[in-house]
Amino acid sequence: MIEIRNIGLWYRKGQKILDNVSATVGEGSTVVICGPSGSGKSSLLRCINGLETFQEGEILVNGISVQNPNTNIYRLRANIGMVFQHFELYPHMTVTENITLAPMHVLKISKTRARQKAMELLERVGIADQAAKYPGQLSGGQQQRVAIARGLAMEPALMLFDEPTSALDPEMIQEVLEVMVDLARDGMTMVVVTHEMGFAREVADEIIFMDHGRIVEKGNVQTFFNHPENERTQQFLARILR
Amino acid sequence: MLDYNFEWSILWSQTYGPWLLKGIWTTIHLSLLAWVIGSMLGLMVALARLAPYRVVRFAGGAYVQVFRNIPLLVQMFFWYFAVPALLPREMGRWLNHEVPHLGYYCGVVCLGTYTASRVAEVIRSGFLAVPKGVTMAALATGLSPWNTYRHVTIPYALRISMPLLSNEILSCFKNSALTMTIGVMETTGMAGLIDSFTFHGLETTTAASLVYLAITLCVVAAFARVEKKMRIPGLMERSN
Ligand SMILES: Nc1ncnc2c1ncn2[C@@H]1O[C@H](COP(=O)(O)OP(=O)(O)O)[C@@H](O)[C@H]1O
Ligand SMILES: [Mg+2]
Repeated sequence: MIEIRNIGLWYRKGQKILDNVSATVGEGSTVVICGPSGSGKSSLLRCINGLETFQEGEILVNGISVQNPNTNIYRLRANIGMVFQHFELYPHMTVTENITLAPMHVLKISKTRARQKAMELLERVGIADQAAKYPGQLSGGQQQRVAIARGLAMEPALMLFDEPTSALDPEMIQEVLEVMVDLARDGMTMVVVTHEMGFAREVADEIIFMDHGRIVEKGNVQTFFNHPENERTQQFLARILR
Repeated sequence: MLDYNFEWSILWSQTYGPWLLKGIWTTIHLSLLAWVIGSMLGLMVALARLAPYRVVRFAGGAYVQVFRNIPLLVQMFFWYFAVPALLPREMGRWLNHEVPHLGYYCGVVCLGTYTASRVAEVIRSGFLAVPKGVTMAALATGLSPWNTYRHVTIPYALRISMPLLSNEILSCFKNSALTMTIGVMETTGMAGLIDSFTFHGLETTTAASLVYLAITLCVVAAFARVEKKMRIPGLMERSN
């Protein structure tokens, strides 16, 4: 589904943010990425849907090269949902409008149909009763579930999550993780940047550990938690699993 | 005080009352027209200043600097006296002799273009205050850059700009008084004219002041309503 081949990324001329990163995400699988702040996790996610321009290597999504000038990047993005640490909802629109905007203007679905769809999704993430409110009137956990619904509304083949629970109060983390676990179980292909190791244990098919723009450890749940090879990974796990 | 006989009744006398009303009406439509030009052009200049092309950005920046930094009075004279002289001879003559109310049109254009330069700065700062992540989220759903602008960035930026835009519309009304220098008989000009006929300048000036006060209070009230309607629920009400 995603094929990341030796990509390298710089911002301007300075330091290399991503260095020779390669990874594969199979259809229906969930890959968890973790690593210290500034290690390039967000940058890597943004490369996958073309929000960032990398200088080396190639990324294929469903066999389509992201940076090929002939690729219709908008159509590709429509097929990739993305959820951010700070939700990034449109604050001047109601919850329903947040969810229906892209389906109406990208997929050209009728308003009635889009609203129907939005209600189903809100039902699915458990906040159908908030449909008419504005994002600023919701709790963090509710906002993040709206953001997930917004991503799902495009019926994407793939979902990217960038630290979806890092900005949430502890009591709201669970409600968002539950939605994500359900998604993973339903067979959605997901790339999740998170430090929620409980989530990783539950659904990750593979865990990637990044440091200084490189992938330093990669493995399934068993090997990653029980026999990490890299010293940095060991330190990181020791700190985070305390 | 000197011997001055206040005679307020001239304000509603049969001759001068209608003059004053005509002046007030001129102030209103001249300012509103200038505001329409100012807000539309201002939005376009703001967009130009943020455009992905250097030439366009530069043009937008140059516009703002030129129109914002030359005194409005000088700009009035420029449009009224210099522009007809700078145009080809025939056109200049036609403007000066055949176009009725040339001063009015010059005043509208001048005030409109000046207001645009100020509106552009206000809206631009609104754009810069839109979180990058929100724009990115819209692009991530597959929306084109233009649709992202249209549905997310522009409405969001305008809502942020609202309080400062209300200042600009007030300035627009007040600055309209300067058009009297190029012969427009708006409120201030009319007040002067009535004074020259009646020597009752105190009354007319007082009346003019009250008229401006009334107009600006109306504008403030109207804008407060618009602002309330456009306020982003849960986002901006907390900060007030
Ligand atoms: N737009 C940008 N311009 C310049 N440097 C950036 C930009 N975005 C991120 N960086 C830098 O790239 C590095 C990786 O950032 P990021 O991908 O956000 O890491 P992570 O998500 O793992 O915390 C950091 O050193 C950060 O300062
Ligand atoms: Mg990050």
